[in-house]
Amino acid sequence: MSENDERMRMDCSQFEEAQDDLDRPGTPGLALREAALAHAEGCSRCAQLMTDTEALDFSLQTLAVRDADLQAPPRVEAALLQELRLQKAAASGRKGQWRMAALGAAALALLALGLSVRHAPVIDGKMIAGGKTNAGNGAADHSVSAADSGAGASSVEVVQNVPSDSQDATAFVSLPYAADPATLEGGTVVRVELSRSALASMGMPVADASATDRIPADIMLSEDGAPQAIRLVSSANLDQ
Amino acid sequence: MTGATELTDDGLLRRVMAGDEDAFSLLYKRRHPSIYRFALHMSGNASVAEDVTQEVFMTLIRNPQRFDPVRGTLAGFLFGVARNHLRKRWEQDRRLVSLVGDADELGPLASNNGNGNGNGAGIHGMHVNGNGNGDGNGNGHYVVPTTRDEFTSIENVSRVRKAVSTLPENYREVVVLCELEEMSYEETAAALGCPVGTVRSRLHRARAILLEKLRETRPVRRATAVGE
Repeated sequence: MSENDERMRMDCSQFEEAQDDLDRPGTPGLALREAALAHAEGCSRCAQLMTDTEALDFSLQTLAVRDADLQAPPRVEAALLQELRLQKAAASGRKGQWRMAALGAAALALLALGLSVRHAPVIDGKMIAGGKTNAGNGAADHSVSAADSGAGASSVEVVQNVPSDSQDATAFVSLPYAADPATLEGGTVVRVELSRSALASMGMPVADASATDRIPADIMLSEDGAPQAIRLVSSANLDQ
Repeated sequence: MTGATELTDDGLLRRVMAGDEDAFSLLYKRRHPSIYRFALHMSGNASVAEDVTQEVFMTLIRNPQRFDPVRGTLAGFLFGVARNHLRKRWEQDRRLVSLVGDADELGPLASNNGNGNGNGAGIHGMHVNGNGNGDGNGNGHYVVPTTRDEFTSIENVSRVRKAVSTLPENYREVVVLCELEEMSYEETAAALGCPVGTVRSRLHRARAILLEKLRETRPVRRATAVGE
């Protein structure tokens, strides 16, 4: 027996182990086919097993071919496409919500910035709160006062009988980050005294911004407290 | 959608995630038949197969991020999802495990068999043709069937189908994937979430059971056909 023949020898257990893969691409069984055939030639039991195995292969392949055209009904694809559209719509909705949330966050950031700008010059000034914009202006009903501390802390004063809009005042000017003025129904007007530099920072035309005197002004706040507009008030009215 | 038909499954899935309906249709047409057949062979019920197919692709639409290309192919992922849905259904309704003998449940499969009742040639009668043309690659055994062969084939396909449908679930799924869907051991192992060796051993055992079942249902004239 040659060395090659010796290498090709296969016993029944090896044959049984390999016989399922003799025709299967990508498996070691394919390389053993010659040896398996050689073994089957001299072993009637394994020859029968090989015959049965190949018949099974053929039958399974025939079954696969027969079922190859089986598909789900078209309504399945239609339902899936409908779901895809819904998901797409929901995703764009979520994207819109994120956009709104981002805008809201940006607005809050601007508000915080605006308030910080507003408060900075008032640190050692005097602020007077007034009535509702759509109520009888000048009808404020309470007063809180805190005098300047020696350390220069902030001072806020809310007085009763705040002067009405009939006094000498300019028209309200919207602040840069203000919402639609139409949404200000129910807002509050707060009277403050601001330095010229603070007024200038809010976009008001002020001469000699370096001067240290304080200018009375009304700030219109929206219901959530965000400053929306500002107007200048004459010193005479403030003194009332 | 230029060149979409040439896109890989992963490329199509990326488009699907962006809401591209054409990409989804293409991916669905490419992958759903094998999923449907798998579900049909595993459940033996066209309605279940339809539902499972729909659920598999619903999963893909709703949670495409569940597919990780690093862990395997999209086809393997889809088979895995189908398998999970089938198992859930089996848990909900154990009746589905019992497949054999219900002509209504096997409707689509049975109709694919035609009505041939065989002429007694048996599977070994077919084998003579196949063996004589064997080229070792597993795909070149066939000759164009004659009318007699066709009848034989119909009868035997029916017997094999029934034998497959009565295999235990673990064996049936490897037969369906490896033999009927012609997936490699590696692909099957990925789809089933088990080692390649497990697939190989299950398939070996499943084929032995199939052979035994087919011997039990061997047509009376089979012995003459093989000259025994």
